[in-house]
Amino acid sequence: MSSSPLRQRPALLRISMVALLMLWSLAPMLWQLYTSLRTPESLLAGLAGLGGGWTLANYSAVLQADPPFGVYLLNSTVVGALSTLLTLALAIPCAYALSRRSDLLKLVIGGGLLAAAVFPYVLLFLALLQVARQLGLANNLLALCLPYAGLSLPLAVLLLQAAFADLPVELEENALLEGFSLGQRLRWILLPLIGPAVVSTGLLVFLFSWNEFPIALTWLSRSELLTLAPAMARIAGSSVFTVPHGAFAAATVLGGVPLLALLLIFQRQIVAGLTQGAIKG
Amino acid sequence: MQSAALGGSEPGCDLRPAARQAWFAVGLGLGLALALLWGGLAWAGRPTTVRLLMPAPFADATAELVESFNREHRGLRIAVTRGPFETESVSDLAISSLLLGDSPYDLLLMDVTWTAKYAAAGWLLPLDDWLGPEPLAPLVAGARAGNIIDGNLWRVPMVADMGLMYWRTDLMAAPPRTPTELVAISERLQRQGKVRWGYVWQGRQYEGLSCVFLEMLRGFGGNWESSGEGLGTPAATKAASWLRQLIVKGISPAAVANFAEPEALQSFEAGEAAFMRNWPYAWQELQGPSSRVAGKVGVTMMVAEVGEPPAATQGSWGLSVLAGSRHPAEAVQVLQALTGEASQRLLVQRWGYSPTLTALFDDPALVAERPLLPILQNALESVALRPLNPGYAQLSDILQRQLSSVITGELEPALAMERAGRGSQLLLEASGRGSEQ
Amino acid sequence: MSLLLMAPALLLLLAVFLWPMLDYAWLSLQAQTVFTGLKPVPVGLANWERLLGDGRFWQDAAQTLRFAVVSVGLELLLGLAIALLLHQSWRGRGLVRSLSLLPWALPTTVMALGWRWILNDPNGPINGVMQSLGLPSLPFLASTQLAWLAVVLADTWKTTPFVALLLLAGLQMIPTDLYEAFALEGGRPWQGLRRITLPLLRPYVLIALIFRLAQALGVFDLVAVLTGGGPASSTETLALYAYLNAMRFLDFGYSATVMLGMFVLLLASALLLVLAQQRWRGARP
Repeated sequence: MSSSPLRQRPALLRISMVALLMLWSLAPMLWQLYTSLRTPESLLAGLAGLGGGWTLANYSAVLQADPPFGVYLLNSTVVGALSTLLTLALAIPCAYALSRRSDLLKLVIGGGLLAAAVFPYVLLFLALLQVARQLGLANNLLALCLPYAGLSLPLAVLLLQAAFADLPVELEENALLEGFSLGQRLRWILLPLIGPAVVSTGLLVFLFSWNEFPIALTWLSRSELLTLAPAMARIAGSSVFTVPHGAFAAATVLGGVPLLALLLIFQRQIVAGLTQGAIKG
Repeated sequence: MQSAALGGSEPGCDLRPAARQAWFAVGLGLGLALALLWGGLAWAGRPTTVRLLMPAPFADATAELVESFNREHRGLRIAVTRGPFETESVSDLAISSLLLGDSPYDLLLMDVTWTAKYAAAGWLLPLDDWLGPEPLAPLVAGARAGNIIDGNLWRVPMVADMGLMYWRTDLMAAPPRTPTELVAISERLQRQGKVRWGYVWQGRQYEGLSCVFLEMLRGFGGNWESSGEGLGTPAATKAASWLRQLIVKGISPAAVANFAEPEALQSFEAGEAAFMRNWPYAWQELQGPSSRVAGKVGVTMMVAEVGEPPAATQGSWGLSVLAGSRHPAEAVQVLQALTGEASQRLLVQRWGYSPTLTALFDDPALVAERPLLPILQNALESVALRPLNPGYAQLSDILQRQLSSVITGELEPALAMERAGRGSQLLLEASGRGSEQ
Repeated sequence: MSLLLMAPALLLLLAVFLWPMLDYAWLSLQAQTVFTGLKPVPVGLANWERLLGDGRFWQDAAQTLRFAVVSVGLELLLGLAIALLLHQSWRGRGLVRSLSLLPWALPTTVMALGWRWILNDPNGPINGVMQSLGLPSLPFLASTQLAWLAVVLADTWKTTPFVALLLLAGLQMIPTDLYEAFALEGGRPWQGLRRITLPLLRPYVLIALIFRLAQALGVFDLVAVLTGGGPASSTETLALYAYLNAMRFLDFGYSATVMLGMFVLLLASALLLVLAQQRWRGARP
């Protein structure tokens, strides 16, 4: 008999475990989605109000607010994309050079990068605020990419350096014999080979910059320049009369959806980036 | 050179390529000059913009005023930034813009408690030279305090604000006058099943809690001195333990320890409570279509012990010109327009905000239209001011922290108030040392 | 040549990481407050003296540490369970893995706002269920114990997927023939977990532990939006205290001192962790 209890029990256990995991991971988000589609009255009626009262008004309220919610998403996208490009532009040469060294300096820099990668960067906000004031970098989305790149560099360099170190040295030596310059070697031989690592590093940097809160909170004060994270915090303190739970929920859904899409599309690369960090680090 | 080659090959064109180029250059130069001139003229003719940051409700209330101001003034226009609702969030926003140096605003609508801090930080422009002698004379006495600090005028109030007690006229004949009465009426109504809760108020660890407390501190015979002292007193302990007892006895929900104004209003509006502590703005909302208690609400002063005058925490909003403004003269002009009589009249008539000008309180037509005005005037006569200290935010934070411990049952009232008193003392001493050097 | 390639990145790194620390070291010796008109005035070690006697700093330090230890501990336990579940082969595993990673990708402030509503008293879903069961509603953000629990819950919810993923990577590095050999020798599956999996997983546990502890000790976004540090400052963390000192109280000298103090505590706990790790190694060769 194939359906002996001995074989069924682990499967049943597993199914219930998976169900529990999904409930734990998704229920809070689904509740936000549900809330965002309900009228205020039905929300305050507790479980009794589970029936009617569906609406899209919460979304139109959020999307037509001043400034409209789309502006925050756009700002976050711009900052995320530019920070990613800047980080990669700085990290790739650095990681390459670091991977080709084997001296004390490499050890020192590597150790420093590791320490910086785990450093709770929230500690830096006050000094960075002063930098922004003195150099006139406040309220400027382009300028915000500088601290973001700086904060992302340690992890980016470590990940890319590990990828470069994995490439066989002979590859580059052959290219050198054929007269390729450093730029050509990087562009035509090395980069294509570490492409996957570049993509997953870039995605992690993008996620960080999109979600960053304390620096954005202190560098941006104009509402039309806010990125998503400080905008959410400001929305949290902006209810006029009664607490607009539905509108808040609509904001959380709109703020979450782009990232969820990104994660689902690129999940393989993001997972690879995260686990590479663990294995190589 | 493509154009030259083309020109040369074109029949009937008698201009030589070089000459064509010269003409082209002249034309381009002329065009550029014209464009510059036009641009310059447009620049010069552009109206001066005075930028103003306000909390969201005031941005909404003044929208009409701002629009008509912009219509009437050719070379001057007001641009309002709609800030957050919560006082502290607006302050956070204003401070972060000011710290970043290039504040995008000329004028700021300020809570009364910010004035000392902002003035000490050097962010405000003294208004004495701009407004002529005695600019505060037309104001009722309760609205005058908190604008002049160290001999300079920093702020002109636009609306008065004071803590009030809202009560249900359908559930009782007259509102309670003493803390004991409030408890007794609440317990009776709760026992009868008329309301779920007796009294809802602001118990979250934030500025609103300090306002609630100040009224009770006065009601029990104490005071929060302008120096910042007065928290380590027996009256403070009584006030704090009374607030704690409200929760222990079930008169206020435990959730009140996380209530700000919107949560209290939401509960009272739904008919869940017999009493609410809130500001005048709540009146309008309670008469609205989503309110279950419209027409059943009375407004009065907060309860006080027999023999103690009831107190209302002063929370007025006023305009200040920022020191970094590039158009101080225009900013002052806007300030005068928005704090003037016509503006205040509209804010009362349309939105129910309390005026600050004596003339408006004394206007019988306006009083007939807004029966709340005498109550507000009465409350303004007994306003309680929070300390006018540049370190107020921190003094209040010390108090909120200890009060929150009492309300959540973490600390005994006497111990907590002793700590609050000691903490403020330490802060005041430390700041004295800082300013001496 | 290679120095030239590294220079731009290293310069930016120094500017972003080293410069602030030097700036704080200087600032912590100044009184730069609203009482000095926001101008720095040298005060020697006054800020440091104040820090040592500041009960709130030490209370926040203890709260931050308690939060970090409990939530990271929970994340490791849950993360290990999830990793073991995802390590087995079954249909739909890839989809479940992606879906369970979703909480990690959401911005903290977004879901912090969501939790405020989920934990709402009395209108949130949890209290809705409590009431329909005839139980009293739980004042989540109005009680010190429950508010602390709420912060731990929200943090665990968000970062467990990250830990699970790291541990899963570790599990996949363990050769399967080890288990086969162990089974041939008559070992039971549960013993395999203790004798093979956990020892070989140790480096990954350590990485996850260090990474998460450092982040949890610096927690700011979550408490700033979810509780604002209340009630009774029971959820206030050191980072929030430093932020309040700078942005609300305008006391920059002391804010810098709080941050340096926090940095010193971080270094101390890192050192302790390293020592403990060596002990662990020494005890079980």
